[in-house]
Amino acid sequence: MKLLEYEAKAILEPYNIPVPTSLLIKPGDTLPTPLVLKSQVPIGGRGKAGGIILVNTPDELQPAITKLLKLEIKGFTPKTLLAEEKLHIKKEFYFSILIDRQLAGIKLVAHKNGGIEVEDNTDFMSWPIEDKSQAEQIGQSLAEYYELPDQTFVLQDLIENLYDCFVQNDATLIEINPLILTEENNLIAGDCKMTLDDAAAFRHDWHFEETPAEVNFVTIDPKGNTATIANGAGLAMATVDAAYEAGLKPANFLDIGGGANEATLLKAFERIVEYTHLQAIVINIFAGITRADEVANAIVAAKQQIADLPPLFIRLAGTNYEAAEKILTENNIALFPDLESALRAAKEVVHD
Amino acid sequence: MTNLFEGNNVIVQGITGAHGSFQTKAMLAAGTNVIAGVTPGKAGQKVEGVMVYDSIKAIQETQTVDITVIFVPAPYAKAAILEAIAAHVPLIICITEGIPIHDMLVVNKALKSSNSTLLGPNSPGALLPGSNKLGIIPASMSLKGTAAIVSRSGTLTYETMAGLTAKGVGQKYVIGIGGDIIHGMGYRESLELFEKDPEVDQIILIGEIGGQDEIEAAAYIQQSVTKPVFAYITGHHAPAGVQLGHAGAILGNDNESAVAKSDALKKAGAQVASTITELVNIVSSTTKP
Repeated sequence: MKLLEYEAKAILEPYNIPVPTSLLIKPGDTLPTPLVLKSQVPIGGRGKAGGIILVNTPDELQPAITKLLKLEIKGFTPKTLLAEEKLHIKKEFYFSILIDRQLAGIKLVAHKNGGIEVEDNTDFMSWPIEDKSQAEQIGQSLAEYYELPDQTFVLQDLIENLYDCFVQNDATLIEINPLILTEENNLIAGDCKMTLDDAAAFRHDWHFEETPAEVNFVTIDPKGNTATIANGAGLAMATVDAAYEAGLKPANFLDIGGGANEATLLKAFERIVEYTHLQAIVINIFAGITRADEVANAIVAAKQQIADLPPLFIRLAGTNYEAAEKILTENNIALFPDLESALRAAKEVVHD
Repeated sequence: MTNLFEGNNVIVQGITGAHGSFQTKAMLAAGTNVIAGVTPGKAGQKVEGVMVYDSIKAIQETQTVDITVIFVPAPYAKAAILEAIAAHVPLIICITEGIPIHDMLVVNKALKSSNSTLLGPNSPGALLPGSNKLGIIPASMSLKGTAAIVSRSGTLTYETMAGLTAKGVGQKYVIGIGGDIIHGMGYRESLELFEKDPEVDQIILIGEIGGQDEIEAAAYIQQSVTKPVFAYITGHHAPAGVQLGHAGAILGNDNESAVAKSDALKKAGAQVASTITELVNIVSSTTKP
């Protein structure tokens, strides 16, 4: 789950990681200027898109609030605005802590040049970290790398605190960019992106603006001509691949999961028919824990309950296949022996 | 010398749960020697005729344990795996899906200083047709033989296995390494097992988008595998940065894509199919009658 900047900073603060003084602000509020007004959207590239406004005088404040609340950034408009003190920036660095897949462990990543152009950097420095006792040593080499020898103790503390924050909050990414060195020689987290592990939600009391991303139903092309339904993540991906190979344009990836029943399938059908360019639905089920006859019953129910259902191209195999075949045949619904023949038949009815 | 997967004494952790009891029944039906189960606080009960104990240690007072299959719910799975590591169980198979990443980091650290091998989590387990069913891979769709399958995806594994079975190509091993970011044994260890086992003639590798495991597998194939390898990578049309089902199935960099992985495997000498049907066809057409 991706957090918004203000939510991420609220998590950093109790770990003594310095963040700018800030307030959530709404239209009509008054605050002393200068201040920095920041749109709270769950997407990068906010600064370049005009989502951050420097407010120099009190009379600039209300127009800036109005403007940001209306400004759409890559499809997102903010529900919340953050007002922060204006910092006197001497230099901006990049610093993050994340789970590294290949390492199968935690890694610290740094760059001398932080800020909005950070993606242009390629030569990042990184340090694997298994335990916070390594903070002293890594902090020293980080201070050397940043060329901030007088900040060695500060950076050692930062690493130790950030490590605790990362582990205790079940984070998979905490990115501080920029890490600002002020004219007063303080290091402050100017912006923060944080991702938390949805699987760990059971042991936290998490309430955030964004909800966890849906992983089992993903739109690939909202104007696609063919919807796909499959069970299991791998089979669902393979079904999308095979549909492309057959010359169709898949609208979605859908994994109905193991043990899917009639109700879950009906819900899936209802969502799929929302696609405006839909001309065919391809169903590819390999029943293991899922039972093929339950899938067949759901298909019959969907045909009866959903008006204007596009033609179905169904391939079923596995547990209770014979019963499923009987149910579908009795209802005059065709079955294909394999996915390829189902896709070929779908291609014949689909027109671009 | 027998390998880990041919271990005789199998236990089930989380045996009293819905999945645990249902799958214990299926494992017993497939001929697996399930000697005991573990659910803390439920010692003395029986599930499908199998005695339940409070801990692995309690079982080990009278019997040796070669393999444990874990169905414990995600919040308690870390403790269950750590218990198996502490009890020196040689092969630990974790079926549980949705274990927090930080829990798996703790498990990984414990594994490094142990002699145990972990398969999973979020894995369908392993099936050695006619010998051992260790997890949820349906034995009825398999056939004893000389092919070996390793995969990150459950349903694609079943699909491939059933397809091969229908064409008369039997399997020695069907191994699911699981779809999570942090996991136990991977492609490399599986390939090593298949290469060393004289009963294996053909190797089938099924991969997906995300991570570098398949790229590393390709390097290993090039260096150390002499047997024919057939591969299929799914997710050719996956949108970047979006998780597709599995926690680990997320396309980050270009080198995590299905194309990059397929190319790496081709360069390593594997025959790479573009669909599962094609995969099954090329394997069966090159199988000695």
